[in-house]
Amino acid sequence: MTEIVVISGKGGTGKTSLTAAFAALAPAELVVADCDVDAADMHLLMQPVTVHSEPFFSGQEAFIDPLRCSNCGECEAVCRFDAILDGVDGMKIDPVACEGCGYCARVCPENAIVMSDAEVGTWQHSRTRMGSPMAHARLDIGADNSGKLVTQVRTEARKLAAEYKRDLILVDGPPGVGCPVVAALSGADYVVLVTEPTVSGIHDLRRVHELVRKFRIPCGCIINKYDLNPVKTDEIKTYLLEGGIDHLADLPYDTGFTTAMTLGRTIVETDQKHLVHTVENAWESIVHYSRSERETV
Amino acid sequence: MKIAFTATGNSLDATINARFGRTEYLLCYDTETKQLEGVDNGESVNAAHGAGPLAVQKLADLGADLLVTGNGPGEKAGSLLRNLGIKVYGGAEGLRVEEALAAFEADSLKEITL
Repeated sequence: MTEIVVISGKGGTGKTSLTAAFAALAPAELVVADCDVDAADMHLLMQPVTVHSEPFFSGQEAFIDPLRCSNCGECEAVCRFDAILDGVDGMKIDPVACEGCGYCARVCPENAIVMSDAEVGTWQHSRTRMGSPMAHARLDIGADNSGKLVTQVRTEARKLAAEYKRDLILVDGPPGVGCPVVAALSGADYVVLVTEPTVSGIHDLRRVHELVRKFRIPCGCIINKYDLNPVKTDEIKTYLLEGGIDHLADLPYDTGFTTAMTLGRTIVETDQKHLVHTVENAWESIVHYSRSERETV
Repeated sequence: MKIAFTATGNSLDATINARFGRTEYLLCYDTETKQLEGVDNGESVNAAHGAGPLAVQKLADLGADLLVTGNGPGEKAGSLLRNLGIKVYGGAEGLRVEEALAAFEADSLKEITL
């Protein structure tokens, strides 16, 4: 099984638009996994029908038993997150403010505070409108994405791949370089870095590539909106060459991407021939490199 | 010497997991007594954050001298391992623990610079 993870470090480089386009190119061959769960939006283009959904628990939350609570206020005094509300009907926990540290439960003289696993969202098995199995998740407002949830979505994608006999998993990865990204990268076969010729685009490309290099995962790069800043694009190309990163494609800035998005379509489902062609070539290169480099590692 | 492995199961037959922090089991093989000791890493698998550092704690408890794994640890776990002086050898993912041990002894695994 080959697992391809698309990441960008910086947001707004076109990572999800491109991942969705790739998913639309080979729907019969792959499983889609949306691990960008902080702001999961791939479903807007994939329009999946959910066939299975389960709650996701992460961290803890406090609950005050009103029958035991004596309203002494000791919990309120120690809470660093101002999550204890002293209302007319007694002490209550503000579930959004509560970080689940458990300090209140520890100091409560009445043992009235119970810590329990917090349900922070759901994960799903779905089928995209193109017919691919898809693993994704939905987090409740204020809940954090985490390595745990990314690992869960990837595990579900692997199960789907085995069940539907697909040997390719395409992962829309999380942003940044932290815990969720580490969880998305470890064990992956190939990484696609999507960047843009801006100061922050290059900066974040370097940061995230440092992590990929540390994990010794072969990777390639797509320079999106390359024509916005030729000097920065050259800088990226030099970086790719020096770092041994496969140069997969240069895509121009084109409002066709936005137009397609507002119609709920991917770029390859439009009549923008030149863009479709470039994206198709990029996908072919990705599949080629992900398979060939795996054999030589 | 005690050699630790990131594995999907609790035996010499189990496969090496490419992951460090969220691997299912951490195994420790004592080259002197030829004994294998395994610990369930479920606590890390279920941690929202800090899975890597939790796994390092388990390695320290096991008294591991070095670690054989796949991709290697992330930033935080890596610096802890460096401070503990536990060397890390990567690229063993997919091998059985037994095979990974042989590969390490044959000096064919690469040390990961932490």
